[in-house]
Amino acid sequence: MAVDLETREAGWQQDLERAGLLRRLLRARKWHGADWWFVAIASVMVVAFIVLALFPGFFAPHDPREQVGPRFLAPGEKPDVESLIIPGDSGITSLLDIVGDERVPTAVVEGTPSSQAARDEADRITQVLQDRGEDVRLRLRVQRHDTIQEALDELVAGDAVIAVASSAAFDEVADDYPSLDVAGPVFEGQTLSSFLLGTNQIGQDVLSRLIWGTRIALIIGFSASFFSLFIGVPLGLFAGFTGGKTDRVLTVFMDSLYAFPGLILAIAITAVLGPSIINVIVAIAVLYIPTYYRIVRGQTLSVKESLFVEAARSLGAKSRVVLTRYVFPNVIPSVAIIFSVNIADAILTGAGLSFLGLGLPPTTPDWGIDLARGQETIQRASWLITFPGVAVMLVVLAFTMMGEGLMEIFNPKLRDR
Amino acid sequence: MQRLRNIVVLLFALALVAAACGDDDSTDTTAGATTTEAPATTEAPATTEAPATTEAPPTTEAPAEKTVIIGTTDAIASLDGADAYAVHDWELLKNVGEGLLKWEPGSGDNLIPGVATDLGTFSDDGLTYTITLRDDVMFGDGTPLTAQMYADQINNRLLVLEGPNGVGPALGQPYVASAEALDDYTVQFNLTGTWAFFPQLLAGAPYIPTHPDQFGAELNLFPDAPVYGVGPWFIESYTVDEQAVLKPNPFYYGEAPALDSVIIRYFGDPQTMALAVEAGEIDVAWRILGPELIEQLEGVEGLNVHTIPAGPIRYFIVNHTLAPTDDPNVRKAIASLIDRDEISDRVFGGAVEPLYSPVPPGFLGANEVYDDVYASPDIDAAVAFLADSGYTADNPLQLVVAYPPEHYGGTVADTMQVVKEQLEASGAIQVELVAQEWSTYIGAVIGGEDYPVSFLGWFYDYPDPDNYLSPFILDGGLGTNLAFNVAEEGSPPVYETIEGVDQRLVDALLEAASNPDPAARQALYEEIQALHAEAVVTIPLWLEAEHIVYRDGVMGDNAFLTPETLNIGPTIEFNYSTLDLG
Amino acid sequence: MHPLLLTFMIIGLPAAVALLYVFVRGTTTMRRYILTRITLTIPMVLILASLVFFVLRIIPGDPVTSSLGPKGSPEVKELLRQNLGLDDPLLVQYGRFIGDILTFDFGDSLIGAQRPIADELGERLPATLELVLPATILALAIGVVFGTWAAVRRKRAADYGLRLYSVVIYSMPIFWLGLLLQLLFGVWLEWTPIAGRIDAVIASDLERTTNFLTIDAVLHGNWEALSSALHHLVLPTLTLGLVLSGVFLRLTRINVIETLEEDYVAAARARGIRERVVTYSYALKNAMIPVITLIGLQVAILLAGAVLTETVFSWPGMGRYLVDRISSRDFTAVQSTITMFALFVALISLAVDIVYSLLDPRVRY
Repeated sequence: MAVDLETREAGWQQDLERAGLLRRLLRARKWHGADWWFVAIASVMVVAFIVLALFPGFFAPHDPREQVGPRFLAPGEKPDVESLIIPGDSGITSLLDIVGDERVPTAVVEGTPSSQAARDEADRITQVLQDRGEDVRLRLRVQRHDTIQEALDELVAGDAVIAVASSAAFDEVADDYPSLDVAGPVFEGQTLSSFLLGTNQIGQDVLSRLIWGTRIALIIGFSASFFSLFIGVPLGLFAGFTGGKTDRVLTVFMDSLYAFPGLILAIAITAVLGPSIINVIVAIAVLYIPTYYRIVRGQTLSVKESLFVEAARSLGAKSRVVLTRYVFPNVIPSVAIIFSVNIADAILTGAGLSFLGLGLPPTTPDWGIDLARGQETIQRASWLITFPGVAVMLVVLAFTMMGEGLMEIFNPKLRDR
Repeated sequence: MQRLRNIVVLLFALALVAAACGDDDSTDTTAGATTTEAPATTEAPATTEAPATTEAPPTTEAPAEKTVIIGTTDAIASLDGADAYAVHDWELLKNVGEGLLKWEPGSGDNLIPGVATDLGTFSDDGLTYTITLRDDVMFGDGTPLTAQMYADQINNRLLVLEGPNGVGPALGQPYVASAEALDDYTVQFNLTGTWAFFPQLLAGAPYIPTHPDQFGAELNLFPDAPVYGVGPWFIESYTVDEQAVLKPNPFYYGEAPALDSVIIRYFGDPQTMALAVEAGEIDVAWRILGPELIEQLEGVEGLNVHTIPAGPIRYFIVNHTLAPTDDPNVRKAIASLIDRDEISDRVFGGAVEPLYSPVPPGFLGANEVYDDVYASPDIDAAVAFLADSGYTADNPLQLVVAYPPEHYGGTVADTMQVVKEQLEASGAIQVELVAQEWSTYIGAVIGGEDYPVSFLGWFYDYPDPDNYLSPFILDGGLGTNLAFNVAEEGSPPVYETIEGVDQRLVDALLEAASNPDPAARQALYEEIQALHAEAVVTIPLWLEAEHIVYRDGVMGDNAFLTPETLNIGPTIEFNYSTLDLG
Repeated sequence: MHPLLLTFMIIGLPAAVALLYVFVRGTTTMRRYILTRITLTIPMVLILASLVFFVLRIIPGDPVTSSLGPKGSPEVKELLRQNLGLDDPLLVQYGRFIGDILTFDFGDSLIGAQRPIADELGERLPATLELVLPATILALAIGVVFGTWAAVRRKRAADYGLRLYSVVIYSMPIFWLGLLLQLLFGVWLEWTPIAGRIDAVIASDLERTTNFLTIDAVLHGNWEALSSALHHLVLPTLTLGLVLSGVFLRLTRINVIETLEEDYVAAARARGIRERVVTYSYALKNAMIPVITLIGLQVAILLAGAVLTETVFSWPGMGRYLVDRISSRDFTAVQSTITMFALFVALISLAVDIVYSLLDPRVRY
């Protein structure tokens, strides 16, 4: 009997497709409820973050590893001008006047950008002189003091040849030191611009680090989730479909993995493998395989028993065909939901790992690392923990909202009455 | 179901209310929890008030206990002197006990007698050291100390026991063969060689007399409280990771401490400790507050922040048998590019002192040889060195620099970032930074087969230049791989340097370790430092000064050298007896 | 009595009770199921423990190298390794390890003071539980109450508001929330202490029996200690509890919604029973079943959250203990802790499964 299975299946095909994914999406569009908005807003956010992650160099004003200004500059704060302070009768007008063989004793206040400004200028002058052909170097012996008074006292006493301090700090105490004068700004090319989100503990731009951090976070999130998906879903399909002993063995194994505290496992894996982004991805991926497995297997089991699959089978459709054409499309919605929530969770776990100091090489511009370092200076520079924390929250929020919304839409039991 | 829920919520609310009612008690630190009416002597409640009042305690109640609470992020690893090898353990041991010799509080170079009557003497051949104990020394339970007791302790414990912290095999066996009691109070040490720095060793924690009952034939890392010693204090009680309570030793031969008790409170991380000292939960914060926390605390009213110009050093181990650092040009180029000032300013805000010699300032013979020889950062010189070996902008040197990201704090990662920039500024080097978790890292560094340049810290075993040089030169030198023992098994060691490194480096080192004459040692150490720089054994980076933070009202005894740092000097010894409240 | 044993008894109680109940009242099929589960659990735990054992020994680093660092010559380190039995052939060490497990011997730590692990866990486990239990209760209280409320007022403002809350709070990194609370309440407002379990001076006067500071304080009538301990509990509990409440809220809401769609609920409504009664007496009771069981299975999440919370608040609990010991390669501590935890999780999930099967009449074995 030459029954043309192809044409008969084509007719069935349309109905079945409608019975699956497409049908649900169409029904979803009927709702203009807030759920739809949840997903819409979340999608926009996700797309925005993905764009940021793909083109960080375009959006970030600076290189995230470059020192762009003094340390711990608050958001929007402009650094102060660093002044060269000299005894009034010394006749020194700039650092050019003190070039010599020995290191020049320079008094500064510890913890201020003065020392660096002075040294940057000394380097610049050395370069100028060498370009002229003179074989000299200007080298400073920086003497760091706790307060500006101590620094200026040293200058007055003659133990230092020059002092460098911020103009504001000197103006406050200038009256006590009538013999001292300001020769001018110490460093011609001092950057006096402010930074939108301030600088961190080694003078890197926080905003640039945030933007580049998006790339790391999303790489970890997507890669780990993809890994889990590509291992967990096929395993789940296979186990659910085949059943029997393999199913039982696999399930027991997955259950124990699922029950195990994920963070501990990730910690163990990264401690063993060492700090590198691949290791973090692997560690997190392993954690989520059981989730995909369980859900997909469950769905497979229920779809396997449903009427239209039975019908297809009775028509003689092969197992492989049943699996790919009928089971798989019905599994996709759940997988999509898990995927988006998975990304959110992966980013959180990744941040947790970097916060604990594990996982990524510590020089990476990563939000978790920034939060860990920010914790050390929580009072002095609270912006260092605020912004990376907000960033993590927003990205995780976007993916979670998307997953939440999708779940509301796709779950048949949550139909509107 | 709903009722159950309501009950649960109610219970929790009750708990919160109970906690809120106890508000005042928990945020204050009340000195001496036993007397509740006594004025709070340890805290400055409002920072604008004058230091807390101790005058006019209520005459009808018992006088307030003067207690100082010291916070630390260290933890007790071992209270057995024959095993303990950590700074905090030694601190406790040096307060509960007292050595035959000790350092004058606040000083780094003045050894004074402790429970001995004098400084002791070497024999002419330098192989024995004789010293006399005082006759009035007693442990905290009244047991008197005798020479025989002490000799037994040395012979049967320090030289024999091998605990997990390993101080016996490290600081006992290599230097002392045996100890004898010549009479009731005289002890003679038979040394394994001529060790000019033996007095400095003797002032260390492993050689402090311990109570024979508590510390007997076996190691007792965690003795039951109370823990007695011959020093000014005894440990009344302790809970690891939480706190230890010290009270004055009633049988101490010397002057009783000014305080009635000292409580050590253990913290998990420095940030919490910083917040605690700010809030008044503790009086003193000691070890280990990083530069950022110090900066943060410096501006706070009611707190005193002081720097102690001594402490652990940080440096790079340079591997002399692994490429590319087996090439002297490469080593010299690296030494020429490191800008210590920039590291100090950029990463630490100037809180660490650039170090220009393997021997820190204040020690015998210390100079600034790396600055004299390399005058770094000298990019031209570095480029020249690299060009000599064929490395240019078109053929850059590929260099791996390894570091432990968490063991020394987060600043190390920042430092490595800066170092990478400094090295790459030459245009002829490309740096790959490798972060490796501590346990894996340290084994790899010492093994000497993995990293050409690796970052490490060091704190002295005994405060002597020898301890800053020998460990990095002899016997593979913690990964520098430039001198090895070529003697037969069982014979005394003979060290030979690898080809290209001057043998004089090793010879001078051994000479300086055995010659007791300070002038001769000084000259030798200057020669050694020059050779050190020529070979670039290690690249010294900075000296990480220690910081102490204490609230107004806590003071150090003015009779000693550095009361403003609570009399903690270059040896980083904290003597609780010099503390007072006022 | 050893604090660890006491803690185990407290945890094991529900499992033991459930087990007993089932054996007395349950059907033969159920008994068979439980026996199967138990017999599956034991090899599972053993396999996990063995895996941990071998992985730890394969990775580079050992406790001696880790603690001594650059100090001590290679000979010294070798000597110390021998003393710890680390140089024995692998199989010998493994045999010792399995023997220890079967005799419930937790072993001694390999670093520092070499204290018995049982003692260390006896101090750490109660600390974690003292934090985790109130946090869970708080999370349940918020989650269940508001989750139900949101489900009942579905698609109205309250529902969306609460869903937003749950999603936002879940998206916050837990350590970030902890830091913010620490800064706000501990430093700026000074309403609560910043870290630790109890005030230092008060702690020195408190006698320990169970190592649950609150219980010990009550047992010994030390009200000052109780107040201090509770006070120190506020921030960490709030941190962990709030983050968890987001999860629980979501779970509750979904399950209540699904239950409200069930036929028997519609039938009850059709019979004219008031909405309020329908919700609480009919739907809620049945909705709670999967919620409770799902929550029981979140034990793993709890420990993860505990690790981060303990780090932020310097809480000397099990989470931080495990992380520290992995770093310092304290093999015995890591093995014992993970094995114990695996057993613990297995017991809880068994108990949860049993409870579920008893409560839900639809489940048949």
